[in-house]
Amino acid sequence: MSKKLYEIISRVMKIDISSISDELGPKTIENWTSFNGYVLLNELETGFNVKFTIDEVIDVKNIIDIKRHLTNKGIKLDE
Amino acid sequence: MPEENSLSDYINKSNEITKMFDKKIRIALLSSFTINGLSDVLKVKSNERNISCVVYEAPYNQYSQEILNKKSDLYKFLPDLTFLILDTRNIFGEIFRSPYSISHLERAKIVENKINEIEKLLDKYIENSNSKIVVTKLNIPSFSPNGIFESKTEYGFYDMIEDFNKQLTKNYLDSENIFVYDFDKFITKNGEDNVFNYSQFFFGDLKISMNFLPSLGQDLMKYVIGYLGITKKCIVLDLDNTLWGGIVGEDGFNGIKLGPEAPGNAFMEFQRVLLSLHQRGIILAINSKNNFEDAIKVIKEHPYMILKEEHFAAMRINWNDKVSNMKEIIKEINIGSDSLVFIDDDPVNREFVKSIFPEILVVNLLNDPSSYVREIENIIDFSVLKITDEDRNRGKMYLKQKKIIELEKTSTNLQTFLSQLDLKIIIKNVNEFTLPRVSQLILKTNQFNLTTKRYQETDIKKMIQDSNFIVTCVQVQDKFGDNGITGVFIIKKEKKKEWRIDTFLMSCRIMGRDIEKGIMAHIINKAKENNIEKINAEFIPTQKNKPVQNFLADHKFKKNGQFWTYVVKSEIKIPEYLSVEAK
Repeated sequence: MSKKLYEIISRVMKIDISSISDELGPKTIENWTSFNGYVLLNELETGFNVKFTIDEVIDVKNIIDIKRHLTNKGIKLDE
Repeated sequence: MPEENSLSDYINKSNEITKMFDKKIRIALLSSFTINGLSDVLKVKSNERNISCVVYEAPYNQYSQEILNKKSDLYKFLPDLTFLILDTRNIFGEIFRSPYSISHLERAKIVENKINEIEKLLDKYIENSNSKIVVTKLNIPSFSPNGIFESKTEYGFYDMIEDFNKQLTKNYLDSENIFVYDFDKFITKNGEDNVFNYSQFFFGDLKISMNFLPSLGQDLMKYVIGYLGITKKCIVLDLDNTLWGGIVGEDGFNGIKLGPEAPGNAFMEFQRVLLSLHQRGIILAINSKNNFEDAIKVIKEHPYMILKEEHFAAMRINWNDKVSNMKEIIKEINIGSDSLVFIDDDPVNREFVKSIFPEILVVNLLNDPSSYVREIENIIDFSVLKITDEDRNRGKMYLKQKKIIELEKTSTNLQTFLSQLDLKIIIKNVNEFTLPRVSQLILKTNQFNLTTKRYQETDIKKMIQDSNFIVTCVQVQDKFGDNGITGVFIIKKEKKKEWRIDTFLMSCRIMGRDIEKGIMAHIINKAKENNIEKINAEFIPTQKNKPVQNFLADHKFKKNGQFWTYVVKSEIKIPEYLSVEAK
């Protein structure tokens, strides 16, 4: 499932899958504008068939936050 | 979820567009809420249709300021087409949530004021810009505080929105520059719960969710297609498993599936939707591998056949391959291959046709007749900004055409054939009644078109009012009836003794009957009458206007640099099989 997550991040943020790491966020990814941040969450919702709450959306500051929220929703990312 | 790519796909693809095309459009987007990404969708979708598209996005919720300020970036951008995307919340403000804090009279007053505001804006914009503008109707939300009592409420919340929409539509019924997009139908199709996502609304003031922006873009492309006049005009159909279920050659007349029970009713409904398109001017044709006798018996005699022989402008029912048949159909109907849609259940035939004619829209039918109707309903390529009488009568015209072809076959030579046709050419100045059709011809005619200059209705209007131009249309009649307005020429009075033919075009429907000789003789004689000494003309070659490449030379124009010149001496005799009448 990690692969799928990385593919979505890579597509939306236009960065190589290999360069994605947990601490990356709006400050380190050029295309992570506020609008693109919403696009990313929207496409993760569609891709993983989940829904982020308003608090989760506010909370996301980097990729590890996304992983945490997805894991809390029962998505297994370590496979 | 709609069958669409994701918004990020469009954003990425839009950044990678490098190809430029001849067809171009400049689109301005004005909106009362966040529509980031819509410009990317429009650019990519235009690009897929070989259109170069540039988009100006006005700053967030600044549409009034942009329109009212003549020096704004909106006007500097010089758009061809502008979308003003409004939403109910924004228009009604506080009243959106508290419509019943005021009386019904106050509600009516608010609507009156709001509609006046929008009208003023639209009128101002049209006055100051050459763009056409598409304004969205307001969406009627499913929630009302009055609930089921809403329909018992005098001038209630829903009435307010409906009234606003109705007035907006009514006011611009005849406008050639202002169009009203039925946003509510978009919601009907896609569903309010899908299109309006509260989370995205709270975070980014998105009133159309990201997943549905591509679908909205697809819908708005209808205006791009209509504006550029790149509308599909003809549907070429297969028969077995397309117009009826089963194979008539094997299952027999009584064995095919066509009738009131499933799955036969799916084919009947499919035929009904095709007939409805035919009634508004889309030409139908058949391209089928079949025994002619088997298939024509179904078309002529089957009790549940909706489409009859008279609805098809051309029929190729034989054992030739589909591409050869397609070439013949194109020739017989005299139509550009890029105006065709091809519908066939067999993927091999579809691929074959697509490989030879990439410009034909080949519909990917699923292996399920119950999906056929929706497939047709989803085609956006039939979009036109105007439907004229000529469109509505097109089916009859092609029937007439068939009779003419039969006469041609029995005539011994072209002269006899033409003289038997009783051709009458009526030349008249363009007026408000003929303007829509003239504009349509100018935007759509590809083959018999000397300069392929595309003018919008407003441009033509300006020329009509300008005494330096002669804007004329040509109506052609023959023994089988009236072909309607099928030709246009525009003359620019360049100098005191010189005219220039700015535009000279004829619909493909009347090509091959020497009509152009009659028109040219008329122009030359008129020039003579007005003491004009020289007529200049220009041939601008395109991929499609080969039929006119020798036209000027054939009419004794001499090449003179970029232009061709005819020296007016004496009057010219009009061929005797043509009668030319100037009104």
